[in-house]
Amino acid sequence: MGLTSGFFMGLTIAVAVGSAAAMVWLWPRFASQRIGMVAARFGLIAAGQLLVLAAVLVLLNGFFGFFGSWSALFGGGWPVAAVASSQPIVVTGSDLGPVPGGSARPETANGRQAAKPPGAGAQSPSPGNLAVAPGLDLKGGAAVAAQSVGEILQVTVSGGQTGIVSAANYVYLPPQYFQPAYAHVRFPVVLALTGYPNATWSIVRWLRLPATAARLVASGKIRPAVYVMMNVSVALPRDTECANVPEGPQAETFLAQDVPHAVDQTFRVQTGSAGWAVLGYSTGGYCAAKLAMMNPYQFHAAVSLAGYYAAGPDFITGSLYGGSTAFQNENNLDWRLAHLPAPPVSVLVTSSHVGESDLADTLTFLHLIHPPMHGYSLILAQGGHNYGTWVRQLPQSLEWLNQRLSPAMPQAQPTPPPGH
Amino acid sequence: MGLTSPALVVVLAVVAAAALATILWYWPRLAGRGVMPVLLRIAALGVVQLSVLGLVFVIVNNAAGFYSSWSDLFGSQSGGGAIIADRYHTRQNAGITEAAAPVTVLASSPIAVPGRPGEPGGQLQAVRFYGRLSGLSVPGYIYLPPGYGAKVATAPLPVAVVISGQLDSPGDPYSAGRLAATAARQIASRSLRPLIVVMLPATVGQHDQGCLNVPGGTQAALFFTEDLPQAIDSAYRTVPPADRRWTLIGDSAGGYCALQLAMTSSESFAAAAVPPGGYTAPPGPAEFGGSPLIRTQDNLSWLLGHQPMQPISVLFTGTGQGQPFLSQARPPMRARQIGLSPGEWQLAGVFDWVGTTLQQTLASRS
Repeated sequence: MGLTSGFFMGLTIAVAVGSAAAMVWLWPRFASQRIGMVAARFGLIAAGQLLVLAAVLVLLNGFFGFFGSWSALFGGGWPVAAVASSQPIVVTGSDLGPVPGGSARPETANGRQAAKPPGAGAQSPSPGNLAVAPGLDLKGGAAVAAQSVGEILQVTVSGGQTGIVSAANYVYLPPQYFQPAYAHVRFPVVLALTGYPNATWSIVRWLRLPATAARLVASGKIRPAVYVMMNVSVALPRDTECANVPEGPQAETFLAQDVPHAVDQTFRVQTGSAGWAVLGYSTGGYCAAKLAMMNPYQFHAAVSLAGYYAAGPDFITGSLYGGSTAFQNENNLDWRLAHLPAPPVSVLVTSSHVGESDLADTLTFLHLIHPPMHGYSLILAQGGHNYGTWVRQLPQSLEWLNQRLSPAMPQAQPTPPPGH
Repeated sequence: MGLTSPALVVVLAVVAAAALATILWYWPRLAGRGVMPVLLRIAALGVVQLSVLGLVFVIVNNAAGFYSSWSDLFGSQSGGGAIIADRYHTRQNAGITEAAAPVTVLASSPIAVPGRPGEPGGQLQAVRFYGRLSGLSVPGYIYLPPGYGAKVATAPLPVAVVISGQLDSPGDPYSAGRLAATAARQIASRSLRPLIVVMLPATVGQHDQGCLNVPGGTQAALFFTEDLPQAIDSAYRTVPPADRRWTLIGDSAGGYCALQLAMTSSESFAAAAVPPGGYTAPPGPAEFGGSPLIRTQDNLSWLLGHQPMQPISVLFTGTGQGQPFLSQARPPMRARQIGLSPGEWQLAGVFDWVGTTLQQTLASRS
């Protein structure tokens, strides 16, 4: 019974409603004014309230996608493979429905269709030599659809260096990836990171990253890129803060080395840092900035939407730095700027004058940046720590990234594109 | 009343408390039979539960800062802001970026092929590296094979990196001169394809710390994995990064460094030739940022059992125990041991092995 399954959500609602009904039904039995009876009433109301609260939390979790599964909620360490998988990326889902915003169907470019959860929809063609999970067939007949709207693949990524295995992540291949003019073109890559706690689908559903990218490409504002959407936590429910935890998950190495390496090996993407950037919100924002600053030859630009600048340790992270203040400092972006040579990267940080508590920290960080690092800011008048704010900041952020990514240049076409 | 105003919390708290007190006290009055009392019970429960839920939501929202206003909550905020570029850095920190060149050649001398007077054996450069990310300035040597830099464009070359404590001890097999001569000799006898040999001291920074990043201190691993490849690629005609990984050679001082780099950065390094050992701790004074956990990770025998087998080849050179690596390495990791070559050129066999692994790495990438 899945944490986010309709059955479980219905069950929690039924229990909450049933308890309320029972209370109404049994009401007269507790109608005495003796002190014991008053206490019993209080107990009944408290219990009913807790059941309602539980149902609300389960519904909110299903709605926003904080924890995608029981194991994400209760976990049990992180899986480390003894031998790295020979297939660093395995496709576990491809029938996720078309990505809206492709040039063929501009009327669907409102970001709604991408909210379609995994499950239904047409099969799409294999975009190359992909490793596919057992029971999944990538050989569909929807090549035309992929050429016009692109494709979102659900993937499991296995880290060759770290052994970390991260499931239920997504790769968005833009329509151009499937078009003949781009058949031999390598695409730039944006690694997109969730906040914590989040199921990775949140980037599609709530941040609307593929939909927004498709819309901006269709309107000529940005050039196509591959978007690799990863959970920022590699060991949910633990908040790993993209740190190389001593004797623990090497989250930084996984996201900064293993994931790019796996993507390089699997998709037609650029390999140099000029073709790689990283973006994230909240915890993912902190990680985007940190990964770029620590690995400037992998990511040469980063967007941190409402990120912070130093992390934990606290009770949801557990030990992050092995008790070492010095190592903790290395994961503090302000400390890095003050004590290490500035890395050759550009970072865009966002905040709000009203509603975002990280504004002061953001300004401090910006003032510490010096060449060869470059800092940019996007600060709204108002906007809280929520998707509504980040959705507003995303188009400008993608345009900013577009100016810094080495483009995928189509080859000269011998024939006009279809549809003209 | 604002979504985040304290007054809203107070109001909701008062409403919830009043509703709770009311329902507890007037409970018996709603205990009657019939439709009306039942409806009233439902309504009363609903008021209590909604007011408590509302209170919880507002408190949680205030604590976490999710929604800053009613319009934020209901999604009616719109419009972006302006991206402001790079005007933050102040004059104090604007001028300190005059970075040194990543490689500065200090001196250069030709290398003779041992036993074949007159035959060009390439050249040996004394250089200084500057690491742009680590900030480290490190002296070293670079051996360039014969024909490098000739007008006829030579093919891009693979790179071997030697980490040695004896670079400046003439006569030692791991001295810069002997290393260069060994490479020249093997290239001349055609048992080694031309390559660039980068030679670095085992100690970069204050002490020999096995090329680890000292927490909060010398970022030696950063220098070797990021700065050094960038520096070499910027100054020499090498195989492009996407198509190659380098091979490491370490002497007794640089063995831990070489093996450590191969095991933790297998994307950059494909192989390491080092003296046999368990490599349970880095050389030099212990510097692990006060964390015993970090110290454990620095034990390469421990690391062997706690991360996936890396796609690297390890060659133990000479006599001694190579455990646990020899018995525990599993594909894609390989470990074997060879004796040093007899006679004057002890590292001849090591260089031949290095050449073979470099060619295999190139073949597997292309």
